[in-house]
Amino acid sequence: MNSERNRYNFWHQQQKIAPYLFIAPFYILFIVFMGYPLISSLIMSFYEMRGFQSRIFVGISNFTDLLRDPIFWKSLWNTTYFALGTLILQLPIALGLAILLNAKFVKGKNFLRLAFFAPVLVAGVFVAIIFNLIFDQRAGLINNEFILFGKEIGWLSKGEYVMPAVILTGVWQWAGFNMIFFLAGLQGIRQELYEAAAVDGANWWQSFVHITLPSLRPVIAFVVVVSMIGSFQLFDLPYILTNGGEPADAGSTIVMYLYKNGFQFMRLGYAATIGWVLFIIIAIISIAQLKLLGIFREE
Amino acid sequence: MRIPYDLESFPLGKGPMVMLVLFLISCFFIFAPAEEKGENLEFWIFANTHYEEYQARIPIFEAQHPDVNVKLINYGGTMYDKLLAALLSGFGAPDVVEVEITPIGRFLKGAIDEIGFVDLRPRLESEGWMEKLVVSRLTPWSYRGKIFGIPHDLHPVVLLYLDDLFKAAGVEMTEIETWDDFINAGKKATRDLDGDGKIDQYAIVLDNKTESDYFNLLLQRGGGFFDVDGNVVIDNEIAIETLAFFTSLFNEHKIATPVYGTWHGDPSNFAAMQDGKILSVLAPDWYVGILKSQVPQMAGKWKAIGMPAWEVGSRRTTTRGGTMIGITKQCKNPDLAWELLKFAYFDKAGLINRYETTRIIPPLKDAWDAPIYKEPDAYLGGQPLGELFIELAPDLPPRYQNPYWSEAADLLNDAIFNAVTEKQTPREALTELAEKVRSIIAKDQERWGEGIIDEFGTE
Repeated sequence: MNSERNRYNFWHQQQKIAPYLFIAPFYILFIVFMGYPLISSLIMSFYEMRGFQSRIFVGISNFTDLLRDPIFWKSLWNTTYFALGTLILQLPIALGLAILLNAKFVKGKNFLRLAFFAPVLVAGVFVAIIFNLIFDQRAGLINNEFILFGKEIGWLSKGEYVMPAVILTGVWQWAGFNMIFFLAGLQGIRQELYEAAAVDGANWWQSFVHITLPSLRPVIAFVVVVSMIGSFQLFDLPYILTNGGEPADAGSTIVMYLYKNGFQFMRLGYAATIGWVLFIIIAIISIAQLKLLGIFREE
Repeated sequence: MRIPYDLESFPLGKGPMVMLVLFLISCFFIFAPAEEKGENLEFWIFANTHYEEYQARIPIFEAQHPDVNVKLINYGGTMYDKLLAALLSGFGAPDVVEVEITPIGRFLKGAIDEIGFVDLRPRLESEGWMEKLVVSRLTPWSYRGKIFGIPHDLHPVVLLYLDDLFKAAGVEMTEIETWDDFINAGKKATRDLDGDGKIDQYAIVLDNKTESDYFNLLLQRGGGFFDVDGNVVIDNEIAIETLAFFTSLFNEHKIATPVYGTWHGDPSNFAAMQDGKILSVLAPDWYVGILKSQVPQMAGKWKAIGMPAWEVGSRRTTTRGGTMIGITKQCKNPDLAWELLKFAYFDKAGLINRYETTRIIPPLKDAWDAPIYKEPDAYLGGQPLGELFIELAPDLPPRYQNPYWSEAADLLNDAIFNAVTEKQTPREALTELAEKVRSIIAKDQERWGEGIIDEFGTE
């Protein structure tokens, strides 16, 4: 009798605990692979390695050094430049493509959607290698086949053209991906709104500004924030395209500089500091964007 | 016997039960101890060509040492990150590992006793290998008197050129002795062929974005970034004059063109060679191997001479790149690992096989009398390339290694680009560079000299 009762209790408890056990793998993995590294990298940013087996406490000097480090500022500017390029060039293109592929008169929509989406399926490394050939100053497709401003542009050999080349490659790779989000958003807009506007005599532009854009606001917010975070984490594309940031750090980004410090120069403390500064930058930008786009506003 | 509960009464039903069972089974496989027989040696490498070679030859080593299993792993370019993590955490490092000349710098940081590689000097000296090796090739793997690896290669550099096109320009390249001769010849060969005012062929292709070709010239001249004691010497007169000379090939004499693409091994660079847009290149032995595999259709067009000298009778080669093999301090049986090192790097049959596939000449002088090095090379129109490399080998310049080489090389790339594009004079560029690197080193020394040092407590 007693054992029967115990067994009942056991199962009763089990049923309460089981759900937690089933979600436990996520929390365990999160603590081991995210929580612990986060905290230890924060601690690490106040230390610097002395070789492989010891480290030394340096206070906030990693942070003060970073503020005086010209390559960090250059990398921060390059990264911001890329993010702005994404915002100004890539997202409007993605939205334009989405509107075109949502229009009634376009034929072969499914094929075109797949075609524009396809670049995202190509690994960044291959994209970089291919665009390396395309941007080559003398043998490349762009300079050979298109006459741009009547001269040969040293896309990857002149500092000022390096980031534009990276941005253009980014447009090719990611515009189609972002297009899909916009497309989904466009398809969710109720057709009656446009019909009502047409009855009121609104032209295409007026419907776009007063119906399409406001309805897309949550999608735009999502795409902008995710693109900005992605832009600030830019690494593999310029790393391969510019052979590690050449020439003269013109292609260096924050994450690339972090990688170099951590894994090539064995300055793990400094690399952790760069990581935390990057985190703070991304957090500020994301919150500011969400505020500006009104995501925190109560509907 | 009664099953206590039927499956349906398992919390949340049958699905989760199946997941739990699968989870437990996979746990068993993950954590079950691997069956171990005899000694195991783990050997990490980064190069595909080496992988093929070792994969074919390791069974021979295993046959010579019964009870020994060699686990060869080719991690490619990600190997260094894995090695770094293993050395930092104090476990998981291989017994034997190959490391390249630029990444090795970072592994030499910190206190000399805490470096993750075993000092091989006692073994090399007691077994008499020092006399048999080209000693200047030990310098890239040595620091503060210890030798952390043995060299895979010599990597002598020659001037590889397209003979027909130079001859068409009226230049006989075999008569070139000095860089002055080369500049004169180069001015004849650098030409606008179709009269449109644009130069169609350049005498030489040089990398103006990275340290590679400038460093070739600097080492040839006896300079370097660091001296044997670890001092920064990149702002001495030799270095400044050499950079001035390097920039003059582009800007004053206009006989050099920057490398097509990101480096000498880029497909667009090979295309330019095939189109006759570039007529020569400073080529280490391994670069000849790359050309052979990437542009086999150019066979018979290339010829090689020693690099033009700075003065008549001075050194006609330099050295570019390199790989070492070393034993990590986490290795449990260094004696056995040492046997594997000798088998991989000092076994003559293996070295001949290596030359056949990669054109790499070994630093072991005894091996050079093998007939294969004297064989005519079809890729160079029958010229015996091995003979030229071996003739130049004793004269190879030393290249002193330093823990700060990774940072230094990164900053040196910028200095060279700024000088070639005339943003800075060679003197300004190198003076600023030297100050930067000295201040990085001084800062570490200042930090490490005092303060609390937190030992990780690993071996």
